[in-house]
Amino acid sequence: MREITYRQALNEALDEELARDPAVFVAGEDVAIYGGAYGVTADLWKKYGEERVKDTPISESAIVGVGLGAALTGMRPVVEIMYIDFIPLALEQINNQAAKIRYMFGGKCTVPLTIRTEGGAGRTLGAHHSQSLESWLIHIPGLKVVMPSTPYDAKGLLKSSIRENNPVIFIEHKMLYNTKGPVPEEEYLIPIGQADIKKQGTDVTIITYSRMVLFSLQAASLLEKEGISVEVLDLRTLLPVDIKAMVDSVSKTHHVVIVEEDCKTGGTGAEIGMLIMEHAFDQLDAPVKRVAGADVPMPKSPVLEKLAIPDPERICAAVKEVLQ
Amino acid sequence: MTHEIIMPKLGETMEEGYLVGWRKAVGDRVEKGEVLFEVMSDKTNFEVEATHSGYLRRILYQPGEQPIPVTSVIGYLTDTPDEALVEKQGPEKKEEQRISPQPSETQITAKVTSSAAQERIPVSPLARKLALEKGVDIRLVRGSGPGGRITEKDVTDYLKEKETSAYQVVSWTPMRKIIADRMTQSKSIIPHYYVQISVLMDQIVRMKELLKKEGKHYSYTDFLVFYCSRAIKEFPLLDAALMNDEIRIYPQINIGLAVAVENGLVVPVIRNCAQKSLQEISTDIDSLTKLARNNQLKKEHTEGCRFVVSNLGMYQIENFYPIINPPGVAIMGVGAINRQILPTEHGTTVAFLMKINLSLDHRVIDGAYAGRFLSRLKNLLEQPGLLAL
Repeated sequence: MREITYRQALNEALDEELARDPAVFVAGEDVAIYGGAYGVTADLWKKYGEERVKDTPISESAIVGVGLGAALTGMRPVVEIMYIDFIPLALEQINNQAAKIRYMFGGKCTVPLTIRTEGGAGRTLGAHHSQSLESWLIHIPGLKVVMPSTPYDAKGLLKSSIRENNPVIFIEHKMLYNTKGPVPEEEYLIPIGQADIKKQGTDVTIITYSRMVLFSLQAASLLEKEGISVEVLDLRTLLPVDIKAMVDSVSKTHHVVIVEEDCKTGGTGAEIGMLIMEHAFDQLDAPVKRVAGADVPMPKSPVLEKLAIPDPERICAAVKEVLQ
Repeated sequence: MTHEIIMPKLGETMEEGYLVGWRKAVGDRVEKGEVLFEVMSDKTNFEVEATHSGYLRRILYQPGEQPIPVTSVIGYLTDTPDEALVEKQGPEKKEEQRISPQPSETQITAKVTSSAAQERIPVSPLARKLALEKGVDIRLVRGSGPGGRITEKDVTDYLKEKETSAYQVVSWTPMRKIIADRMTQSKSIIPHYYVQISVLMDQIVRMKELLKKEGKHYSYTDFLVFYCSRAIKEFPLLDAALMNDEIRIYPQINIGLAVAVENGLVVPVIRNCAQKSLQEISTDIDSLTKLARNNQLKKEHTEGCRFVVSNLGMYQIENFYPIINPPGVAIMGVGAINRQILPTEHGTTVAFLMKINLSLDHRVIDGAYAGRFLSRLKNLLEQPGLLAL
């Protein structure tokens, strides 16, 4: 199978959906002429014109508001918030409007809105451009939150998100755009809400998502050499989360390490750990352990930035600890 | 008035007794002279009579495998059925202090339960669930996780261990316990040594056959006890007793005979052997052996035992070294009579040979004395006619 980058996979998803459905359009800061801050929308403007690939003013609230209005009136917009760090500026539109309208109108309308954004550390962009804020978003009922880790998942999930009739926050990772992976040429979809076992194992389950899947796989191969068999479960969707996949894996390995890049306190891992407690308590042979981002504003220093997020060594140590 | 019921001392050497059973229940009326309970000691049973009339009010020991020191209070009688019981104070009842030889799992569980009430055992949810499913008492599992947490592996290891180390417990019978205690005491205290001699048994074999033709049936044991008694008459230390730091020699020569019974062994005594004929000894042995096998030996059949003869010849055993039965100072182990080729001046001959081993207490008997005795016994067995001279 051909290998393409995460960026190309996303671009293909947008291209295919723009071609497939005239209701689909793309809007955001620098998505048209410039092709997107990370190049995801490259050449789409040329292909589909400025009616369907639109640059917007620098106003996150307006970007989401426009998308929401268009979605309510029959369009299928894909809007981009350049950094997840700017999501708070659009939270009124996301939290109080997009997530609630369908409920408040008794299901008489749908909100087929996709909000693409990108987060995470790794490029030493400092405290304003390196955050992982997914846990804020999974706290909002009415949203779907998707965080793919591979080009294959990115393409399949973005296409599903665009076709979804509820608002989806589609969170990419800035360190994944250049990663490559197999992606079929023919069309495919990946359902929202379905986790994926990225590596089978028997001794311990690492539950993770987004870029931390890659770190966890590295840790798993290091641990494999020491005779520890690690299963890596990629959640892919954080909301709704695939509880069954987690329970099935925990029932097999009985040990869990959660790896997340976001800050530990009140983070996504807290929710996942608690779900395991609620659904698979009797399967646990050791307490669930988290390897998470430090509770600090992301440092600008490359050395400190590396220390502020998980790495394969710390994941290995955590795995050994739960297996002790 | 309250009367103590005590474990009686029923023999010179008795230090502990085993309660075989109570003949009365708590609350029963008991007449003086009525049998109140049964005790086992030194391999025989005694019925113990009440020393006072009254009512059995309290039982401190149940029948069982644990020995009770003589003179211990084992229960109480009172004159009237409902008067206040005046119990002896102090650490009279030693039951709790003794360690049961085979603590059962339920006992361990009970103990752990009481301590577990204070401290919580960390156990993983999975281990707890598994233990519940498999019926494992989690308190018996050793935790290997951090802080001693019990993990799934600990429970499966415990189950595996339990499977491979499963065993059946053979309970101590009172007789077994007495044998165990006495033999341990003997072998721990008495400085044993051993001498051995080979005896030509052709003459005895011939004599036994001749007597058989006359309708008189004797066993080799009969002959052995008979000739032993004659030899001991000349070497009286063999039938001595070592008691209270005294070496005692008795006017009568008694020979104990080890008799195998179901699940154990008893040693009835043939009294005054040196004054008895072969016929009389044989009759004694027959009746004592019968009593022993029917579990009917009384105190008078076993007391005064010192020198013992133990014969394993019927099992084709050639040699063995028996343990001295205190307060005796010697025990004889007799082997099988086998045909063997022996060298003679002109070639070889076939003869009946038997080996005799003697285990001795070196505190009382030295090697030369034992040697002279055994040599005399050999001569008597090889040349029975010597006795007439």
